[in-house]
Amino acid sequence: MNGERVAGGAGVSAVTSPVAAIAEVPVVGRIDGARALGLALRRRPLGAVSAMLLVILVLTAIFADVLAPYDPLETRPEIRLAPPSWQHLFGTDDIGRDVFSRVVHGTRISLWVGLLAVGIGTVAGMIIGLACGYWEGRLDLSLQRVMDAVQAIPGLVLALAIVSVLTPNTTNAMLAIAVVIIPGNSRIVRGAVLSAKQNRYVEAAEALGCRHASIIVRHILPNVTAPILVIASIWLGNAILIEATLSFLGLGTQPPTPSWGLMLSSTGRAFMEQAPWLAIFPGLAISLAVLAFNLFGDTLRDAWDPKLRQR
Amino acid sequence: MYKYVFRRILLAVPVLLIASLIVFGLMRVMPGDALTALMAESGNMGEKELAKLKHDLQLDRPYHEQYLLWLWQLVSLRPGDSIFTGEPIATSLAKAIPVTLELTVLAMILGLVIAIPIGVLSATRKDTPSDYMGRVVAVSGLSLPDFWLGTLVITFAAIWFQWIPAIGYVSFWESPWRNLQQFLLPAAVLGFRLSAATMRMTRSTVLEVLREDYVRTAWAKGLGGRIVVYKHALKNALIPVVTIVGGQLGVLLAGTVVVETIFALPGMGRLTVEAIIFRDYPVVQTNVMLVAATLVALNLLVDLTYAWLDPRIRYR
Amino acid sequence: MPFHRPGSRASLPSRRRFLGQAALGAATLASARGWATAAAAPYPDWIAASPKPPKRGGTLTRATAWDPPLLDPRYTQSVGLFQFAGLTSNRLVRHVFPDEASGAGDLSLKGDLAESWQPSKDFRTWTFKLRQGVKWQNVPPLNGRELTSADVKYCFEQYAKEGVQAINFREIEGMETPDTHTLRVHLSGSNVLFPQSLAEPIAIIFSKEVLEEDGDLKKRLIGTGPFILKEHTRKVRVVLARNPDYFDTGRPYVDEYIILSTPDAATRLAAFRTGQSDFIWLASPGEVATVTKTNPNAVVQSYHNTLTPFGIALAQDKPPFNDVRVRRAISLAIDRQQQVETIFEGHGILGWGVPYIYYQDTPPTAAQMGPYWQHKPAEAKKLLADAGHPNGFSTTLFYYEYFPQMTSQVQLVQQDLKRHLNIEVKITKLDYTTYYGRYVEGKWDGMSWGFQSGHAVGLDERTFQYMHSKSTKNFFRVNDPMIDELTVKLRQTSERAEQRNITRKIVERELDQVLRMWMPYSNGFLVFQPHMRNGAAPALRRTDAYGSPTVARVWLDK
Repeated sequence: MNGERVAGGAGVSAVTSPVAAIAEVPVVGRIDGARALGLALRRRPLGAVSAMLLVILVLTAIFADVLAPYDPLETRPEIRLAPPSWQHLFGTDDIGRDVFSRVVHGTRISLWVGLLAVGIGTVAGMIIGLACGYWEGRLDLSLQRVMDAVQAIPGLVLALAIVSVLTPNTTNAMLAIAVVIIPGNSRIVRGAVLSAKQNRYVEAAEALGCRHASIIVRHILPNVTAPILVIASIWLGNAILIEATLSFLGLGTQPPTPSWGLMLSSTGRAFMEQAPWLAIFPGLAISLAVLAFNLFGDTLRDAWDPKLRQR
Repeated sequence: MYKYVFRRILLAVPVLLIASLIVFGLMRVMPGDALTALMAESGNMGEKELAKLKHDLQLDRPYHEQYLLWLWQLVSLRPGDSIFTGEPIATSLAKAIPVTLELTVLAMILGLVIAIPIGVLSATRKDTPSDYMGRVVAVSGLSLPDFWLGTLVITFAAIWFQWIPAIGYVSFWESPWRNLQQFLLPAAVLGFRLSAATMRMTRSTVLEVLREDYVRTAWAKGLGGRIVVYKHALKNALIPVVTIVGGQLGVLLAGTVVVETIFALPGMGRLTVEAIIFRDYPVVQTNVMLVAATLVALNLLVDLTYAWLDPRIRYR
Repeated sequence: MPFHRPGSRASLPSRRRFLGQAALGAATLASARGWATAAAAPYPDWIAASPKPPKRGGTLTRATAWDPPLLDPRYTQSVGLFQFAGLTSNRLVRHVFPDEASGAGDLSLKGDLAESWQPSKDFRTWTFKLRQGVKWQNVPPLNGRELTSADVKYCFEQYAKEGVQAINFREIEGMETPDTHTLRVHLSGSNVLFPQSLAEPIAIIFSKEVLEEDGDLKKRLIGTGPFILKEHTRKVRVVLARNPDYFDTGRPYVDEYIILSTPDAATRLAAFRTGQSDFIWLASPGEVATVTKTNPNAVVQSYHNTLTPFGIALAQDKPPFNDVRVRRAISLAIDRQQQVETIFEGHGILGWGVPYIYYQDTPPTAAQMGPYWQHKPAEAKKLLADAGHPNGFSTTLFYYEYFPQMTSQVQLVQQDLKRHLNIEVKITKLDYTTYYGRYVEGKWDGMSWGFQSGHAVGLDERTFQYMHSKSTKNFFRVNDPMIDELTVKLRQTSERAEQRNITRKIVERELDQVLRMWMPYSNGFLVFQPHMRNGAAPALRRTDAYGSPTVARVWLDK
């Protein structure tokens, strides 16, 4: 459910209610989780399809060099805007680059953007959330205010400003997206930690005088992994979309790097009537990836939400 | 209750202060300034003229003074003028806010109209083909970048129907019919996108509620499926939907720049993003703070609504 | 690409071609095509005025990319303002309108507010006789009072006092008004081109009353022009209503001209297709073809290329670009012809920065550009090796995307340099303000996709102001003693044949030393609805941009 609230933003900024009391977090054990996921994938065809799509995406990214028939950067203006053919499955772009090779290599960029942005956002959010939830008190109060403040600034504005300050490129776009992700994540982790702390074994561990670090790692962390993974999978899709929107606004990945967002928003739009394949294929790639991440996130949630699992 | 509201408002003060510092700081460390933007292409502005302009706009003062000055302007509700256009910010906002509000409300309505029926259907027929169809359609709304959807809509409307909404914003009071024509397509593009999240939320909460004892009892009493769903389940299922709708409102308030650009509507998104590009410090700062304050207020409102809908929730 | 970009895709405005104009008939110029444009799509360079008697009435509309940042002509030269400021206000002198011109290249001067003008022998004093009976628009606080020479004097004094036009007007040493309709201007030096400066689209006459009442010109724009500014709603529309008291009786023909702010290119195209916009600028023959497919009756003007505003600027005050061999090698490695043929689909020029009309009659051919403007990768490699970089080097290039083709050009250049010279170029696309901040400040390293400003194409502007080592507009960081000497000499030369001669020398030196590495460019196309008459744009100014005064002669045939 919390996953919904975060991903609910759909756009750049996800705004969640700051009231942690309402936060309800699925808490599952480690081994249980994997088994539940397996079960869910077998039972839910949409989940299985999305998982398969993700596997294909990851494999494409890894083996991009092998799969792409041409160098994605090599220009051959004399064959510009060639429609799809056997030589060029997805046609060529306005300076004669092979669109298929660019889309294949774009998988790498898009997954990389997604993974790094969401990775940084998640880890930073987790650390802040853990610290806040575990120690509570003054640290919690002040850090949460900072998180509220970051979250109160419209995400797109924040991302644009950060990218402008750091000079636009893929890495900085990822950093900007990460910053936008942090507050929501920290809040969810904090909520999860607060509820995990109610558990007897944590109380017991504290009473036994275990060190904070070990309590966090052994008892609390496993409990927040599930909700965080659910959210991360949905954010992965969002990150790809945000990167595309930043490209549309002129502040994303730099040419000639083959990013789906850049391809769609620049040449894709400029030649949408003269050479629709310049838009169709990167557009399709974006949609499939976002769809896959979202459906997979749904499946994870269905699998790990203890209430839903009963059925 | 009052104590809770009071406490929340008190907590909002540091939040807004921190937000103002972030925005102010970000704008100052951005390379380039409004004066270069204004003079750029002429390129023949003398040093002296630049210095004078800087002084006139109080941009030559130390940062902390600029910051305090701006805070004072905000608190006294006189946000000053745009550096770039010289227009009073209050005037620009008065023109932009109604556009964004209308777009937001229409998009919300359209989003809900799509999302809730599909969500309910999807939940009541879980794991059937219609569930999958509904979910795929809804999620595909999420998966299309809105600049792309918007471009497709406007281009193919022109080619196939030789029609696009009249360019040149007209307010609802001037001409309701024309105004609605202008807003329907962009609101639909936004609404389609919003519906995905709401639909999934509706689906999962309806699923939960359907398992609650009272619903099972109702079912056992022999009430028809539809009545059970609409009368008992939906009402309770709507609670978390309120949260998500509240969140979306916040996103929409500043996040409609793409749709505003494509459909040529003069709303908050364009105002803010253009101000960022031209380093129009006071405009960016004021707009962001306005949205931030609205979001904070909105969150409070959402929480109160939540509690009102579900009496089990207590204020802490 | 959603933003208001002041000046983006700005037309290259003009100054009248003054050299050899007798010899060079305008018709020759209009039909003269450099070989670079030989493959262009079959659209005419010029659409002659309609022979039918003009009809009065109707509303002209256009979807525009630009928003006026502010209405004060002292503080901006943005195309956003001058896409209509030339209609609310007049200048002393203007260029010919389409119904007076013999072709795209006809850039002769006509009186606007001035009836006639006379220089002194040394070209230091100019006397303008104003037209009788010109009235300010019938709007408070002017209420239709008559224009006098004192108004013009006041306006020029204000321009000289502050703002972006100050540098141009400071050459005025003093002014006298012997009577209400005579203005005598004394210049600090001789300037044969003074009337041309006053015909620049930005040199509009504003009113004393408004400036004195408001303290600035940010809120109201009241002039003597054919249209009264009725509404200006930021990011929405500009509405211009016909001025019934305009001195040119019977004109303008249309009742209203509405300019609609439409930041997205796809939407502007849709607006034209559905008849909401009466004319539109398009970048390439391919785009024109998609429009004529849905609107087969649209009328297309292929816009004449006279110079390019864009080229690669090098940090030539530092290694490695201070070595002329490196600059030449880079120039030789770039395949410009390929860019013209592919990216600009044949409708483009190889690129030169001084309008060719100042030194020769026809556009330069590739051969005329000299040895370093050919595509000879092997020679390039050898030159670079001689300069001590046999294995290339790494550098950076930043740019602002004025139009989508520019990004394609940047990437082709990157590939050419990598392929032929092993020079690695890291590209950064910047936003408008960052780009200008960095570019104009002039402290950057490596390369930049540089520009020269679009609104004026005067000879002094294109030579001294852009290339003299001490000029504030020397964005390309040229520092060449010979150029310095020649540009100063040019300013002091009043004899036309000699001016032409010196200009040619400057251009030859520039090309030989590769001081500014010009890149191919295309002026694109203007596309009109079939009922729009007399909207064609002369060579240097587009009807939708700085050439807006043309709209006073436009009429609607429906």
